[in-house]
Amino acid sequence: MTGPADLIFYFVAALTVASAILVATLPNIIYSAVALLFSFAGVAGLYVFVSADFLAATQVLVYVGGILILILFAVFLSNRISTVKISNPVHFNWQAALLCLALFGVLSYTAVSTKFPVKPGLSYQPTTAEIGELLMTRYLLPFEVASVLLLAALIGAALLSRPEGEKERSADMEEPK
Amino acid sequence: MSPIPIDAAALLTGLRCILPEILVVATAIFVLFVDLMIPEENKRILCGISLIGVVISLFSVFLLGPARISGFSGAVVHDGLGAFFEIVILAACALTLLMATGYSEWEGTHKGEFYSLLLLSTSGMMFMAKGTDLMTVFLGLETLSIPIYVLVGFHRHRMSSIEGALKYFLLGAFASGFFLYGVALMYAATGTTKIPALAAMLLDARLAANPVFLAGVGLLLVGLAFKVSLVPFHMWTPDAYEGAPTVVTAFMSAAVKAAAFAALIRVLLLTFGGLQPVMWKVLWALSVLTMTVGNLSALLQDNVKRMLAYSSIAHAGYVLVGLVSGDFLGGQAALFYLLVYAFMNIGAFGVVILIAQKEDEGYDIRNLAGIGFKYPALGAFLTLFLVSLGGIPPTAGFVGKFYLFSAAVKNGYIWLAVLGVLNSAASIYYYLRLVVYMYMVPAEGEMPVPRPSRLAFSAALFASGAAVLLLGIFPGSALDLAARSVLSLLM
Repeated sequence: MTGPADLIFYFVAALTVASAILVATLPNIIYSAVALLFSFAGVAGLYVFVSADFLAATQVLVYVGGILILILFAVFLSNRISTVKISNPVHFNWQAALLCLALFGVLSYTAVSTKFPVKPGLSYQPTTAEIGELLMTRYLLPFEVASVLLLAALIGAALLSRPEGEKERSADMEEPK
Repeated sequence: MSPIPIDAAALLTGLRCILPEILVVATAIFVLFVDLMIPEENKRILCGISLIGVVISLFSVFLLGPARISGFSGAVVHDGLGAFFEIVILAACALTLLMATGYSEWEGTHKGEFYSLLLLSTSGMMFMAKGTDLMTVFLGLETLSIPIYVLVGFHRHRMSSIEGALKYFLLGAFASGFFLYGVALMYAATGTTKIPALAAMLLDARLAANPVFLAGVGLLLVGLAFKVSLVPFHMWTPDAYEGAPTVVTAFMSAAVKAAAFAALIRVLLLTFGGLQPVMWKVLWALSVLTMTVGNLSALLQDNVKRMLAYSSIAHAGYVLVGLVSGDFLGGQAALFYLLVYAFMNIGAFGVVILIAQKEDEGYDIRNLAGIGFKYPALGAFLTLFLVSLGGIPPTAGFVGKFYLFSAAVKNGYIWLAVLGVLNSAASIYYYLRLVVYMYMVPAEGEMPVPRPSRLAFSAALFASGAAVLLLGIFPGSALDLAARSVLSLLM
């Protein structure tokens, strides 16, 4: 890669990491969600750099477009938004900090000390058709099991969010005073 | 890329390979539809349908036999190990179903979704036990976990149920992240997620020393250790087990553990050649920690459900003793123990359900006072299961522990066996404490009246009791089956 491409790569990587740190530390949950937007978009950018076009598009569609909006809606629609202070308090917990630092040390050691096999001459080819074909052939079973998983999640979500019994249903119908 | 030809014959072989899973998922969907059509008071039919599905699936496992069938380009395999764990998981599911209807009606929480979620979770466990690709194992893990999260929080009117579900869900999602990260790192190091291919590549000593690969294995181990609740990844266990509806607790303690151990055994035994020199120390420490912390915490509990939760942590430690050596003997002992454990633990929870009047308050140990002589059948059953959990002959628990610890001794892990036996001796104190309460402590005030047992419920208790006794006195055929299952994996 030449100079400018490298520069853009480092910019995108820095954006991803910096906004991820902001997500964890910002006091207001809405700010955190917006920081998450940049982090997700940064990850999509990283996918582009390794020529994973389908993955990048999915990242934008599912994470930026779907999950993030869902998080914001969940915050806005949650009950008694005016009374509950929606915040993301930062507690410093030294045990947790120690554990995270140890994990960070191990992972960065492995990342630095390993000689990753580098594929020379990365070609930017569309990958969507290939992924589709693999999902229907070599990875057919995981693909189908994922649908069973989604069915279970759907039933579970419906069960947990449905009002319980007749009595509560009528109580839910009443207008809040 | 040229198009991959679709091989109809291979697809059919694959479908045959996952026939038991297909049957369970089909039953779950069928139950979901029937639930919409039948009135509230006939929900009991759903339990019958689910039970029939599980029995047919169990039958199909036997029909497929021990022959090795690999399907879906190596994503899943039907072999001895898979079949063995399918039997354990389906048996646990059947026992849970037998107890579930009565329990739900007593608690007034009878809903059709319970059965479909239980069956979907079961199918996930079966995929996990049979998966030879880490992707299949991961999807199986998630498919088993998500319905369980919901089932733990099934009693939405009880604070403890919601608390348990939320804790389990948050920590479980975190553990799944670890598992997936581990798989990703292993893929980065080797370029494959297939377990046999990983095992073959591990014969090259350079890979076994590759830090990325080792970090991947470590993270994978964390993910699985969480599911079987090894110390120090056990924090969620007491709360989730206590809050969950008790039938779900019984199911979790037996079946979820069996499924996660199935994946662990497959990975550990196959990668034995390359990883064992590093792994045994980690597993040794985890095993000793798990046994000791589990048993010491159980000593302090006055709530029977919580005590059984800590005891189930300790039992995961015993099973791990068999895996430290990572060889044939230990594998066989671990398999046999998981089978036995499913019966004795579900049985113990079953009796406790009958004695406890209602959730939360009903599980205090003082509730057991005087039960033994007034209700001799209940007392005898609970004593049998507790004696077996403690590992006293002539029950199956004794045979299981005997094989686990002797496998450790034969492989030279003398200290591990000594610590295991010491732990086992300590555990007898808190198991027998319940027996003492039942037979020797007079009831204070009015004695609680146990729930009148249903026919299905009694059948579940009789089946578990018979299994515990039979496997204890004639363990030969089950041990042979376990031996063949491990051999089929190592071949």
